[in-house]
Amino acid sequence: MKSLLLKSWSFYVRWTARYPAVRSIVPFIPLVVLWAAIAEAGVFPRAFLPGPVEVAESFAMLVYKGILPEYLEDSVVRLVVGAAAGVALGIPLGVLVGLNARAREMLWPVLLFFQAIGDIAWLPILLIWFGFSLTTMTFVLVYTVLFPVVLNTALGVRSVPEDLRRAARTLGASPARVVWEVILPGSLPNIITGLRNGLGFGWRALIATEIIVGTSGIGFLMFDARRAGSVVEILLGMIVLGLLWYIVDGWILAPIERATGQRWGLVTRE
Amino acid sequence: MKNLVIRNLCKTYFDPYAGTHVTAVSDVSLTVEQGEFVAIVGPSGCGKTTILNMVAGFLPPTSGEIILNDRPVKGPGPERGVVFQSFALFPWKTVLENVAFGPRMRGLPQAECEKTAREYLALAGLADAAERYPNELSGGMQQRVGVVRALANNPEVLLMDEPFASVDAQTRMTLQEELTRIWQERRPTIIFITHDVGEAVFLANRVVVLSKGAVLKELAVPLPRPRVWDVLIEDAAFKALSAQVLQLVRSA
Repeated sequence: MKSLLLKSWSFYVRWTARYPAVRSIVPFIPLVVLWAAIAEAGVFPRAFLPGPVEVAESFAMLVYKGILPEYLEDSVVRLVVGAAAGVALGIPLGVLVGLNARAREMLWPVLLFFQAIGDIAWLPILLIWFGFSLTTMTFVLVYTVLFPVVLNTALGVRSVPEDLRRAARTLGASPARVVWEVILPGSLPNIITGLRNGLGFGWRALIATEIIVGTSGIGFLMFDARRAGSVVEILLGMIVLGLLWYIVDGWILAPIERATGQRWGLVTRE
Repeated sequence: MKNLVIRNLCKTYFDPYAGTHVTAVSDVSLTVEQGEFVAIVGPSGCGKTTILNMVAGFLPPTSGEIILNDRPVKGPGPERGVVFQSFALFPWKTVLENVAFGPRMRGLPQAECEKTAREYLALAGLADAAERYPNELSGGMQQRVGVVRALANNPEVLLMDEPFASVDAQTRMTLQEELTRIWQERRPTIIFITHDVGEAVFLANRVVVLSKGAVLKELAVPLPRPRVWDVLIEDAAFKALSAQVLQLVRSA
């Protein structure tokens, strides 16, 4: 029995080494099996808890009708635009706060104050100001992405060893060049952490906003399905959210981390 | 020919907790000739690193002056290269890019920067490590890069702050021998800070013993070059000088 387990384990290790994609799929198999089993057992009415097959069918149907791709595109474009704006504002602000003691003293309390007013706590007033519009959604997203990026960038800037800055100066770099050549690359691991947190929070805030503002997007799809009483589509929406994050993390953020901080020995390899 | 003149250098800090001024360097005057190799030794807390930080321009002196080739020192600059105890290599740059950094900051064309960098890497036996990242190298190799990175910028004076203190004993001896060889070939002006008496005597033409923020004694080191540990370790003159310096440091 034990040797059989060991054999299958070594088989699994060899397979995942050859096809790394296997590693990201296998952990979900028991989960889906459990789900199917519970749904088939008939503990709950079918309309309350549909099985994986119904959700897959609904996926095929919504893709065929073009609703899912369109909503997905809406959500992703909003996230990308919001995140890009948040990063474009957040990194310079973080560098300023990290480098300049006076700016830090002035801005830090303000940053902490506004960070505490969570993203969707802004929605009531935004809905009065901008209505059920794209502006409202973008504001919430930029707001959500901004803080983790600013705070982590500032932390990263301050964690760059002083000797590195001094070395650059004695090699003839001007203070501005030091920012570009030393401060930014040195704080990159922290900036990516901020980006990862920001995108994670932003993604959640976006879904919440779409549920409330509700014109299109994955959040709207799910809330609209609730109105129609379609649990299948709600589950589908949830699965899409999880998958999308998995893709963003695995295909974009993790490779950047491997190519920078881990390669340079600033972050320990897994 | 005079290169570096330090006159009545003094540095005091204000300690906000104790509410008093602390004197790190009380009154130091020192002249370093062009092409000289000077070692500054002293127990920890004697102010040797503070002096180096002021010469490098990292810290402003409280009073006194530092003049390098008739120009007063204000802030860090490429004419004063520094080798750090922590190596201070840029982890996101390859070895080649690290060494080419100085020439690049001076605005030399890319091809020339690379040529200079490769030439200096070869000088330290690092030609094969050019494309690697610092974290892939051993401590000894990293500090070789640190030394040639400073040299590649062709500084008027090279300031070394306990550069070999964090490598193992065997590697340290090799690095010391390599440094004396490079010094003989290129004749840069070097100020070398250390707490290791043997290292100071082995490397330098002149040893300055520091005590409580002031110069206690200066000693010439007339030992012949090239200096190698296998020979010097048994050498009577080396032993006598080391013992003399050690006694001064311990009395400091």
